[in-house]
Amino acid sequence: MNSCIVAFCCEHSAYPAADLAGKLKLHCPESLRIIRVPCAGRVDVIHILKAFENGAVAVLVLGCEDGACHHITGNTRAKERVKYCNMLLKEIEADGRHVAMFNLSPNEPHKFVRAVNEITKRIKESGR
Amino acid sequence: METKIGIFLCNCGEAIRNIDFAATKEEVAQIPGVSCVNLSSNLCLKEGKEKMISCIKEENIEKVVVAACSPEFKEHIFRQVLEDAGLNGHLFSTANIREQCSWVHDGDVTGKAVELIKMAVNRARLLQPVEKKKFAVNREVLVVGGGFAAINAALQLSRVGLRTTLLEREAILGSETAELGSLCGFDISSMMSEVEGDENIEILTSAEVTAAAGKIGDFTVRIRKGGDEASHKYGAVVLATGYQTKLALESELKSDVNIVSQKKLCRMLENPNLEIRPRTIGFMFDFSDENSRLPTLATLNNALAAKQKWDSEIYVFCKSLKVDGPGAEKLYREARDCGVVFLKCEARPRITAGNGRVKIEAKDVFLGEDTILACDLLVAEELLLPSEGTEALSSLLNIRRDSRGFYQDENVHLYPVASEKKGIFFVGGCRGDLDLSRVLTDVSSVVVSVYELLSSGNILAEVERVKVDPQKCVACLTCIRVCPHDAIQLVRVDGGKEVAEVFDLACDACGICAAMCPAKAITFQGYRDEEILAQVETIEES
Amino acid sequence: MIIAERKPMEEIRQMIAPYKKLLLAGCATCVAVCWAGGEKEVGILASQLRLDQSKGRKKISVLEATVERQCEKEMVEELRDKVQEVDAVLSLACGSGVQTMAEMFEDKPVFPAVNTTFIGMPEREGLWVEMCGACGDCFLDRTGGICPIVRCAKGLLNGPCGGMRKGGKCEIDPEKDCAWVLIYRRLEKQGRLDLMREYYPPKNYRAVKRPGRIQAAKA
Repeated sequence: MNSCIVAFCCEHSAYPAADLAGKLKLHCPESLRIIRVPCAGRVDVIHILKAFENGAVAVLVLGCEDGACHHITGNTRAKERVKYCNMLLKEIEADGRHVAMFNLSPNEPHKFVRAVNEITKRIKESGR
Repeated sequence: METKIGIFLCNCGEAIRNIDFAATKEEVAQIPGVSCVNLSSNLCLKEGKEKMISCIKEENIEKVVVAACSPEFKEHIFRQVLEDAGLNGHLFSTANIREQCSWVHDGDVTGKAVELIKMAVNRARLLQPVEKKKFAVNREVLVVGGGFAAINAALQLSRVGLRTTLLEREAILGSETAELGSLCGFDISSMMSEVEGDENIEILTSAEVTAAAGKIGDFTVRIRKGGDEASHKYGAVVLATGYQTKLALESELKSDVNIVSQKKLCRMLENPNLEIRPRTIGFMFDFSDENSRLPTLATLNNALAAKQKWDSEIYVFCKSLKVDGPGAEKLYREARDCGVVFLKCEARPRITAGNGRVKIEAKDVFLGEDTILACDLLVAEELLLPSEGTEALSSLLNIRRDSRGFYQDENVHLYPVASEKKGIFFVGGCRGDLDLSRVLTDVSSVVVSVYELLSSGNILAEVERVKVDPQKCVACLTCIRVCPHDAIQLVRVDGGKEVAEVFDLACDACGICAAMCPAKAITFQGYRDEEILAQVETIEES
Repeated sequence: MIIAERKPMEEIRQMIAPYKKLLLAGCATCVAVCWAGGEKEVGILASQLRLDQSKGRKKISVLEATVERQCEKEMVEELRDKVQEVDAVLSLACGSGVQTMAEMFEDKPVFPAVNTTFIGMPEREGLWVEMCGACGDCFLDRTGGICPIVRCAKGLLNGPCGGMRKGGKCEIDPEKDCAWVLIYRRLEKQGRLDLMREYYPPKNYRAVKRPGRIQAAKA
């Protein structure tokens, strides 16, 4: 198991927010790996599970704020899939693997950093 | 034979300091399939781009990886470089080693940079070209409505050379606009004669939409007029179906003759045979609905008119006056100077009626006292609602409405006049934003968009960026139901089988359909499962 | 179409416990459309099994394959090579598919990963409702196209029963509409209410001999 955090970032919100975090020289853990997607709604359950199969210790799915998805329903669907994923992981007592969804706007780099820190905290607390 | 991948590193004018580019270059050169690795300090500038083009051509590069700043800025530049070098612009992948690597971590980040490049290479290996082509589109525009916004839209569309059909369900055009004109202080007669005389504008009255299908550039709308129904084709649809008002009153007060709407007062003011002139008039607004620019304007205009014609005593009860539109503040001062009294109240006044008078009890915030006004006429607060038929029409067109029932903007800040379905726009009251001064701006905005789309008679768009494989499709209708842009339809293919098909012009490339297809029949170039998983699976290698 | 639902994970684990190498076999027809056993679901279950490390479970090796229709012998034959490599097969197809696999590969244990539940349709994406009980003696012509065998909790042929709740809801399940109220309203719309006055004798549940067997007349 490596210590990577895989973050699927929607190009309308989280990806620019992550860029802005860089511009403002905010700090993120080096284990973060960002994968750009056109909409959080593109992220499927298998992408999340494969991230874990390949050793990721946590997966983040980041999309637009509620009611502000550029593609209307993408962020809602992503949330449902993340919930489903958590259920699938619980079924197999997935040993502290975390997947979570966060919503933010493209001009909220602090929220991006907070999301990453939040998941890092959850990992530490579960003893990995 | 392995596809040849070229990697282009950039240190952004040496602004990227914490990556060892020499070591990076050495390591990524060993990735299978990589045939050349170049380092530049200004890849996006003329010199850098020219070097890139010559390298691609000389080394016969088939796929390109750029490791530099965020694709959010320069992606389109590098896609163009590929096209200039003879490669399809989609055969390109980025590693964001600046914003999301060098700048967001302290210390040396060479290791992470290498890994990001590996992820991009593994994705690039799988990328497929996406071609563009010109899709022929219909240049005619349908404007549904017949009021101020609709007429202005038709006039402006005609001026830019687009034939327009103005579809009004009442018997005459602009029946409510005349009243609106008086309410807001402008003359519509010149506008009406212009639209009736314009050869580019076809006016259909007593007509309505009964069915609608298709996509941008190719909408088929069934229109019923009189007893006949016929199908017509349009390239774009502009909705200007307006709004309606309802008195915001308890039901027992609604029928009182001395409680009226703004429009009713307008008519009374214009009636030369009015028997009794009201001596004291009360106005009320901004308590139930914060959307009160139009009520503010209407009140000020009506109050001034009543002062001039009847010399009545006028009292206005409101929470706040929205005078941010052009000319509004001037009107307010005029009204004050004429002796109109304004009372600011936090709570909604209590209304009782009887004996030919209307009693208003309110607490003025500044006086701090309870005020009781007995007036002859009360112009009550009105709720602003979407007009009758808005729900039905949005159903026919398959577009969304917001929580108040008005058409939903695609993006409240950036695209407030477009729906989530390409080619369908809305202006005026039906948007729920009743700021008259903005209607003309919104109309211009829509006309520019429609002109850009339709004027040349064709739209250049990507072909099959998102595609349903007709062999795998089982017509479960999932994609058709979930597409937020209504861009997928059921079509019959050779052999008679019905399958889903994505309309290239209407598709907004979100990938929701690709994620939901139970048969994995939808390929979304650039974001196929394999392309996403190639990045995910790279992580294990570290 | 046939609607199925994946079995609880505990049941699946118990079935496959003794085996080290598995083939997960999906079907691209009914179970794919109802999101229970298609290629995607095979991938998800395979991923879960690989990640499953609870209670000292040993690592297992999982192969994945999906055929167009698992109840067709010719299509199942395509899996022969893969089946030979594994110790057991976990099929995500309906009961028909599972049995076809079991018959084709008699020497390998074939386990069902889904429960085949009913014949139904999507009310909206992701929500499937039962419509038909496959009784073999269809009388939808007399009930305005609404089946009381399945949609009436008591399967009444001459309903409604006396216990119908206010608002036309079922006595047994207050969330459900009373099927006979639906039938009445449908026949009303079609002007065929006279059918409500007809008495239908008890259903012949032996109309279809089980196991069913139908020989089509030669084309």
